[in-house]
Amino acid sequence: MSSTAVLQAQKDEYDILREWMKAREFIYVGREVKRIDALEKVLGKSKYVEDHLVEGLTYARIVKSSIPHGIIQSIKPGRAVDHPDFIALVTSEDVPGLNQVGYYIPDQPALAERKVRFYGEPVALIVASKTRSAEELRELVEVEIKPLEAVFDPFEALKDRVLVHEEHGSNIVLRTRVRKGDAAKALQESDYVVENVYRAGHQDHAYLETEGALAIPMDGGMTLILPCQYPHLAQSIISRVLGVPQSKIRIIQPVVGGGFGGKDDMIPIVGAQAAIAAYKVRRPVLLTYTREDSFTSHCKRDPAYIRYRSGANKDGRLTVVDVDIIFDAGAYANRGPFTLWRATAHSTGPYEVPNVDARGTLVYTNKIYQGSFRGFGNPQIQFAAERQMDELAEKIGLDPVEFRLKNILRPGSRTSTNQLLEDSVGVGEALARVAEKCDWREKRRNYGKIVDGKARGIGVACAWHGISTSRGVPDWCNAYINVGKDGGVVIYTGIVEIGQGSHTGLIQIAAEVLGIPPEKINLVGGTSDAPDTGATHGSRGLSFGGTAILIAASKIRKSVQRVASRILECSPEDIEMKDGWVYSRSKPEKKITWEEAVKRCYAEGEEMTATGYFFMPKGRFDEEKGQGFAYIVFSYMVVAAEVEVDVETGLTRVLKVWPAICAGKIINPKLATTQINGAIMQGIGYTLMEEVKIEDGRILNPNFTDYLVPTIADLPEIEEPIFVEDYFKFGPFGAKGLAEMALIPIPAAIANAIKNAVGVGPLEIPYTSEKLFENLSRRGRR
Amino acid sequence: MIPKVEYYRFKALDDALRFLRQYPGSKILAGGTDLVVQLRSGKTAARKLVDISGIDELRYIRDEDGYIRIGALTTIEELKNSETVRDHAQLLWKAANNFAVWQIRNIATIGGNICNASPAADTVPPLIVLNARLRLQNVDRQREIKVEEFFKGPGETVMEKDEILTEIVIPKKDSGWRYSFIKLGKRHSHILSIVNVAVGLKTYKDMIEDVIVALGSVAPTPVRARSVEDYLKNHRITRTRLEEASQQVVKDIKPISDIRASAEYRIEMSKILVRRALNECLKNVFTT
Ligand SMILES: Cc1cc2nc3c(=O)[nH]c(=O)nc-3n(C[C@H](O)[C@H](O)[C@H](O)COP(=O)(O)OP(=O)(O)OC[C@H]3O[C@@H](n4cnc5c(N)ncnc54)[C@H](O)[C@@H]3O)c2cc1C
Repeated sequence: MSSTAVLQAQKDEYDILREWMKAREFIYVGREVKRIDALEKVLGKSKYVEDHLVEGLTYARIVKSSIPHGIIQSIKPGRAVDHPDFIALVTSEDVPGLNQVGYYIPDQPALAERKVRFYGEPVALIVASKTRSAEELRELVEVEIKPLEAVFDPFEALKDRVLVHEEHGSNIVLRTRVRKGDAAKALQESDYVVENVYRAGHQDHAYLETEGALAIPMDGGMTLILPCQYPHLAQSIISRVLGVPQSKIRIIQPVVGGGFGGKDDMIPIVGAQAAIAAYKVRRPVLLTYTREDSFTSHCKRDPAYIRYRSGANKDGRLTVVDVDIIFDAGAYANRGPFTLWRATAHSTGPYEVPNVDARGTLVYTNKIYQGSFRGFGNPQIQFAAERQMDELAEKIGLDPVEFRLKNILRPGSRTSTNQLLEDSVGVGEALARVAEKCDWREKRRNYGKIVDGKARGIGVACAWHGISTSRGVPDWCNAYINVGKDGGVVIYTGIVEIGQGSHTGLIQIAAEVLGIPPEKINLVGGTSDAPDTGATHGSRGLSFGGTAILIAASKIRKSVQRVASRILECSPEDIEMKDGWVYSRSKPEKKITWEEAVKRCYAEGEEMTATGYFFMPKGRFDEEKGQGFAYIVFSYMVVAAEVEVDVETGLTRVLKVWPAICAGKIINPKLATTQINGAIMQGIGYTLMEEVKIEDGRILNPNFTDYLVPTIADLPEIEEPIFVEDYFKFGPFGAKGLAEMALIPIPAAIANAIKNAVGVGPLEIPYTSEKLFENLSRRGRR
Repeated sequence: MIPKVEYYRFKALDDALRFLRQYPGSKILAGGTDLVVQLRSGKTAARKLVDISGIDELRYIRDEDGYIRIGALTTIEELKNSETVRDHAQLLWKAANNFAVWQIRNIATIGGNICNASPAADTVPPLIVLNARLRLQNVDRQREIKVEEFFKGPGETVMEKDEILTEIVIPKKDSGWRYSFIKLGKRHSHILSIVNVAVGLKTYKDMIEDVIVALGSVAPTPVRARSVEDYLKNHRITRTRLEEASQQVVKDIKPISDIRASAEYRIEMSKILVRRALNECLKNVFTT
């Protein structure tokens, strides 16, 4: 069905969205409403997965491979069986259904079968009556694996000498391509061309709470307390593994200690593992990953190698982007096909580029696999793209901001995939305002001098980010609202609270539409009992989740208006709902309370439940031509970063960051700001210090002593964000996605600032003090 | 995983010493911030723990007869908050201020920092510069040993299996000494040192009368940089002299490459930190 047809079929819903988009005065939306979960969290009362104690609970730990590539000979419990707390050893043979948890390509077992493909891969589960014993017993399990030659370097893997998945026939998982114009010709004809190779390393999510799942066999099926990011995905994967219908699998969301994408991928897998064990022992099983397990065995941000060529003409207009992207998938394809596609489609940065050729290759290696992580393939490519913009600007002799503004996407622009951007493109304004706010010209003039062994620099970077899923991948949202007889409202949404605050924002949306205070609304989120709303990823939770709630709440509102108009003797259009009152706009003294109105709805046959299904009208991407529809909308981010480099030690301190975001209507500025601040910190870690060190496939630093994340002492001053509210027509009140955004341009902004400070332009992240030191001394020697 | 251990806790020093004599295979537990990590990672084979953290007689900071006496169980946070330490063992106080985070400082002891014998221990280069002595005790006797002579290698000391470090003795120096402590890590706080440097320096007119330089994390034990000291002692203070003196440090150190830094980086940083520390000591002296 074409996107126009999709819209026509949903005319009523679209009308609702359009109507509310016109609103400019709000009571709850746009306000700093306090988080609904704040008090419980501060008091330590929130219940995380481990806090759910059920009768007969048993405890499980993963047993891991200590060989990066090999054939499993045998897995035996060994002396573990003699221990009084031993309950079971669970292996792939115990999987009742399909031992398959691959996300897109069916290449990944829940528990290794026949082969292991990375060091740390779960080969079995040990179940014991105490956590401690499980921990102890797993060391007694006898795992015999015949080593095979392994391949760790993606370039080596490309030669296909050693195959990670021999049934696949090649280590190349897949290739991606975006094409526009004639890149080869443009490279020949451009006045300036710059070429560089960029690299980005792994990043660990480092969430406070590691992976865990509680599986409880009950009601002829399985109920799981699961800190996932998409309950319905977990439900389908677990149903596949257990070989029971999805309807028998119930997912309940506990409070989650951080997700960042990692739990989107991992928790369905960890849930499947727990479910297999629970199925075998016929008792509830709590499977938790220790911090070390989490480091060794959960997916990471994809390492990337990017050869980037871009050109411009003397007038400062970009002519071409030609880029090769290699993503190291690790042992399993997981989300790699999608992170890579995203990187490929976003390779130009948020600019108009007439000629594009972007080629991506996803390669298997015998290492920990990649997965979803805030930015989803995009931080790597925006790092390259935005470093490249500075290098080109320098070559042309233009100021980096000026150069960007000449080429920036605007309403009416066409993207790298030739998608027309009709509206909702605020990035030009964001860039101009950031430059002004940070005193760009003045600082660029004055910085770059060494004073007392230290040099300051300022850099800027922009980013664009397609919201939700790409191309024609079906995308929808839904929610269910039930108004009780007493006027209390319960919302059911599949959107998950992972610490980002979406549930508070979603309640604000419902409160606004129903004209009642947020306290009257309860939200049940992240459960498979709610309608399938898609995942809480791709910055879509508050936006897409909110669209569904806005539609459902509007349907309720219409019912109330109909009944109230009869009571108050005016037209339904004249009925306003605010602050818990339902009244006539023309004669405000004619009013009844919300509760009274609801009671009358029940009495007069008005339905007090509603769903808010909306199917996103998407287009088609032609993989052959490398052109077409990429994303339903893009959010944009601009940051300027100021750094101070100790030129002798290479230690870089980020002093100040100026963020600006184009995420449409901001539903709750406080939530938005905390997401931006958190993403900036995570970006600083990614850029300057977070480094997964791997030797022969083994992670050498599976701990926080040597995997360094920034601390509060590394926190820069972060300016209040500039919000450019470039409304999105399918978002609630025009809201787009936000949560990933601020991380994406941070690596390039910091790197560009380092270049401004000391003249050395980082080509790789993490750019540790030692690397900067090396580059500085190499330059000194020349 | 933390293995199963036998755990004994003592309130009196004598009882602990007797126990150690009887069971020489046991391991002393003070704050546990090093030991528990090592138990977990399997880096220690000890399965009998002697918790001495309740022995209050080993927790004090005293200023008497020209010495600062610090009980081995004094926590890093207590050092940080002590005016005595600030005024009379300034280097140690600086190290305490650059040490871990509040939660760790509250339980980590100075005795543990020393006895753990990590080349990176932050209190040790300051104690070397301050000419500190360590008082070791077993059931029969006490002995004192210079800090410098205490270490044999990473995790190895001259301490006998039945001994406890009871006290750190720091002779008070005259007020002419100036001090500097610099620590370099990979982020701005809460970090183990890639290199740390302590310098004590005394001038006479425009001459360097005396100087002591010690570094951590650049050799199997914390080391004294005697080449740097010799290069400076009884010489006029000039920028060139300081610069050249800092270069001498390569003769005193023997760093390795590990997960935190390469040997090359450590060598270069040692030179730079020594120069910076010397400069800091001479901040107000410098005119040329
Ligand atoms: C998060 C974190 C951050 C850290 N940051 C730093 C830092 O910034 N700088 C730094 O230098 N260190 C740091 N450390 C290491 C550690 O905290 C210190 O070395 C601390 O001082 C050790 O003291 P403790 O009392 O905890 O020793 P314990 O762990 O109890 O003992 C350490 C060793 O010393 C022995 N021992 C202890 N007391 C005595 C005694 N009185 N007599 C004989 N033997 C004894 C023990 O048997 C053991 O071998 C850090 C550790 C952690 C976990």
